[in-house]
Amino acid sequence: MEIFFQNIFNALQWGSFYALIALGYTLVYGVLLLINFAHGDIFMVGAYIAFFVATFLLGSYGVIDPGTFTGPVIVALAIPATMILTSLVGVALERIAYRPLREKGAHRLYVVITALMCGLLLENGNLALLGASRKRFPDLLEKTVFSLGGISVTNLKILVIAAAIGVFLLLHFIVTRTKIGMAMRAISYDKFAIPLMGIPINNVIVFTFILGSGFAGLAGFLFVMSYPVLDPYMGAIIGWKAFIAAVVGGIGDIRGAFLGGFLLAFVEIGVVAVFPSTLRDLLAFSVLLLILWWKPTGMFGMPQTTKI
Amino acid sequence: MLLSVRNLHVKYGNIEALHGISFDIDEGEIVTLIGANGAGKSTTLHTITRLPPPEAPRVTEGDIIYQGKSILKMPPHKVVSELHITLAPEGRHIFGNLTVQENLKLATYARQDTDNIARDMERIYDLFPRLAERRKQRSESLSGGEQQMLAVGRALMSGGRLLLLDEPSMGLAPVIMYEKFRALKRLNEEDGITILLVEQNARIALQFAHRGYVLNTGEIVAQGPSEQLACDPDVKAAYLGG
Repeated sequence: MEIFFQNIFNALQWGSFYALIALGYTLVYGVLLLINFAHGDIFMVGAYIAFFVATFLLGSYGVIDPGTFTGPVIVALAIPATMILTSLVGVALERIAYRPLREKGAHRLYVVITALMCGLLLENGNLALLGASRKRFPDLLEKTVFSLGGISVTNLKILVIAAAIGVFLLLHFIVTRTKIGMAMRAISYDKFAIPLMGIPINNVIVFTFILGSGFAGLAGFLFVMSYPVLDPYMGAIIGWKAFIAAVVGGIGDIRGAFLGGFLLAFVEIGVVAVFPSTLRDLLAFSVLLLILWWKPTGMFGMPQTTKI
Repeated sequence: MLLSVRNLHVKYGNIEALHGISFDIDEGEIVTLIGANGAGKSTTLHTITRLPPPEAPRVTEGDIIYQGKSILKMPPHKVVSELHITLAPEGRHIFGNLTVQENLKLATYARQDTDNIARDMERIYDLFPRLAERRKQRSESLSGGEQQMLAVGRALMSGGRLLLLDEPSMGLAPVIMYEKFRALKRLNEEDGITILLVEQNARIALQFAHRGYVLNTGEIVAQGPSEQLACDPDVKAAYLGG
């Protein structure tokens, strides 16, 4: 019984990582109908930014005296700083790589390929800049274990799960209740008419990238707090998985990305609980394939491109 | 003079679509541009609204003056939010995945005068009662005529004082069409909205507008008060079916 609940919390934690990344894929797709294949690498960049911000605040670079801030204060400062810096990377990518193509009226296929290349550039740029040696993320939070009737869960897991739920609720509010959220939904339906409403279309697109990359930065931070090893390729596999989770959920729909992330994690952990762990990805993706076979547009997908 | 188009030459790629057209609109007027398909009517409207690339027609000569200033350097969203020129485009282009109410609300995105928004919304619902009945529906579920009304309502909600209408009669049953034109007439008379109407249906356009211009393959070939154009033998033969 104990193990069963441990697995539930593990699945919720991994689901939170997938969901946070999948939301970024789905937001950009919902607005631009663009699969931003660089997004997994934005997550990786976010993790590295988290590393440098955290070690900076710990006093590693001689600017701040070591011991100025306690661990929880560093976490509280570093999370928003990481989110802001990562969102700047996302915005830069949009500005430098995607916007010029869009403004020349390039077919979406070329933009997708550009995204793929940008991801590789980020990975290899990181490799060239920082070398192949892995970095270790410092311990910032003292591990506290809460136990509730025999089920124990760490403070970190609770933080991760709460962050994913909080981000989802915030996004849901933005998309359904605010004017900029309405504009985000409207763009994918009819881009032509957006400027006719007095809306500067690029501002809405930049806002979308700020949200998506900011949450990837948050995911990067929480991920390296939980699994404290960084390498330049860490975003590749998890990025693909989050993308698949977004598709299974119904890409373009934020509820789909959120639930798709958790679904993938539950299937993965469920497989490992029963079968040898080498079968994890094989069986997990077979299950997802069956879901797509049954519902090709995903759980929340609509047959038309009318979503976010 | 509210809007003045002067010797406007416009190209799409290498093909010149407008060969130096000129026309004026005074505040409070209803002016129509009539002409056959491909005469350059929509091109004229798209040039005024400064559509973004790659759809944008390219001005090679001439100017568009609005309230005394050239607007050729304006980005398209500012034509709406700062000049209050709005277009209800051909083919409606409503946001089908949003409700009627959300479509109208989204059009107020850049408006500064937030106090007037609720009042304007009520005005739209008063002019187009069909929209009021369907305010919570996804707008793709509306009929073609209702979608056209929504496109006009949306153009007004964005604060438009000069309303550009591209083929508002297209595909409408006569009853719906007259209902719509009556509402547009009220907007002009009661709210002081200036209207530039582009139409293939010259008969209804000349009944509705004060003045008209006849556009033929990128050139203006006739102009004058509507009654006069409607009696012009050439216009009658070419556009009013004899």
